Amino acid sequence: MKLLEINALTARYNAGDVLKGLDIEVSEGEIVALLGSNGAGKSTLLRCISGLVANVSGSIKFAGQELLGRKPESIVRMGVAHVPEGRRIFPGLTVRENIALGASNRRGVDRRGFAREVDEMFAFFPELKRLEHALGWKLSGGQLQMVAVARGLMAKPKLLLLDEPSLGLAPLIVQQVFRIVADIRARGVTVLLVEQNANMALSVADRGYVLETGSLLVSGPPSNLWNNAQVREAYLGGLAAAV
Amino acid sequence: MSLFLQLLFTGFGIGAIYAMVSLGFVLLIRAANVVNFAQGEFSMLGAYAMLILFAGLGVPYLLAFVLSVAVMAVFGMVFAGVAYWPLRHRGQLPVIISTIGASILLANAVLAAYGPSPQTLPGMFDNPGFEVGEVFMDSQYLLILAVAALLVLLQYLVFEKTMLGKKLQATSQDKEMASLLGIPVAVMVLITFAYSAAIGGIAGVLVAPILFVSTGLGSLISLKAFAANIIGGFGSIPGAILGGLALGIAETLGAAYISVPYKDAFGFAMLLIFLLLRPQGLFGERIAEKA
Repeated sequence: MKLLEINALTARYNAGDVLKGLDIEVSEGEIVALLGSNGAGKSTLLRCISGLVANVSGSIKFAGQELLGRKPESIVRMGVAHVPEGRRIFPGLTVRENIALGASNRRGVDRRGFAREVDEMFAFFPELKRLEHALGWKLSGGQLQMVAVARGLMAKPKLLLLDEPSLGLAPLIVQQVFRIVADIRARGVTVLLVEQNANMALSVADRGYVLETGSLLVSGPPSNLWNNAQVREAYLGGLAAAV
Repeated sequence: MSLFLQLLFTGFGIGAIYAMVSLGFVLLIRAANVVNFAQGEFSMLGAYAMLILFAGLGVPYLLAFVLSVAVMAVFGMVFAGVAYWPLRHRGQLPVIISTIGASILLANAVLAAYGPSPQTLPGMFDNPGFEVGEVFMDSQYLLILAVAALLVLLQYLVFEKTMLGKKLQATSQDKEMASLLGIPVAVMVLITFAYSAAIGGIAGVLVAPILFVSTGLGSLISLKAFAANIIGGFGSIPGAILGGLALGIAETLGAAYISVPYKDAFGFAMLLIFLLLRPQGLFGERIAEKA
């Protein structure tokens, strides 16, 4: 079943069109990777889905319902959680508070229910437990990323938008993050993943889309992307040869 | 010594007023990124609302007090809708100009309605106060200190112990991220404006029996709250409280020991000293430096 259907999506900022008539689909239970160089429009696409971009045309349907024109608050209530670029952990709140706030999109959960769910997240990310009462600004990059993902999962999303989860992390932590992405899918959450680290992304993804300056260059299962000469040269580069 | 203690008591009382207004000021900076130059006008309007209800309509004192504060809370939301909301995406400067404009408009609207002559409002208690040792504890000052302490405690509890408080803090730290989590940012901002205006109104009603109720009350209190904020550290909540108290004490001591006509000058001299020697204030805040 199609969970997300994007048709003829065009987004413009002041400078001009950032997305030029994109068509993208994500089925329930998939991990889909969005690849492309800096400025290709990957993050903008996620921001469009979350309702953060004002000047958009086309259509974004989530579980059959149109998202364009809705506010971010309303979109996350429908079950789309966005873990944005830069993690955006609240610096003056503790790890526990940051994670708990991830459930702000859901009603009818009491304090005790929240506390229990946060504890479940600590079970999923054991190393966050000892940082429970540390303030956001004190965390390292890898820790911030885990808090950001935990906060996103607290929304109990059907679709998780992950923007550059590996950015700025040490290689070992990157592997850990991608294991987590696979675990998240195992929990029944569909994932749309934006990555510069194409190798890692394709290693967990079911399908990928490669964007180039706001347009779709090529799409398909990882093997197709690996074998596409144009893609290898432009985005997988020397790294692809090394694998 | 007894004079000094007496002055300290008075200074604390007036400082608590500055602290309350300054607290409302800081909350708006933190939650909405709004530097509100009409903050003192909230106090002025609160005092006039009290005047109308109590002296004009004969509503019992305590009820009139509560109603005035409620009126100010509603006014705060209207103020948000008119002076802030339409400009919220335009950056800080247009909003600052808008609040300065609102401040001028409000002061002159009240001037047009009530004329320039200052009005008096009696204190809450008939008993003027009592003596402890050689210090006379004025009942109105005691009330001010009690209410200020209660407000600080209440604010601490709400901000640190409730989910609403966490959502308000999240909104103040990163509005876009807050909206991505499903926190209704507009509601959070409205709540902050309502609370900020209510706390300003409380300060206005409390200070009215000590100062006269006049249209100039607002701009005087605005300036003092602004100064208290810079002394305490711009955007810092403990700073707002300590800065307000320090300002009140400095003014009172300066007036008594040096010169009464220069009372206001002592406070502003303190502000200048801080700006020159410690511009980050008593509490330079780390969160204010967020990227």
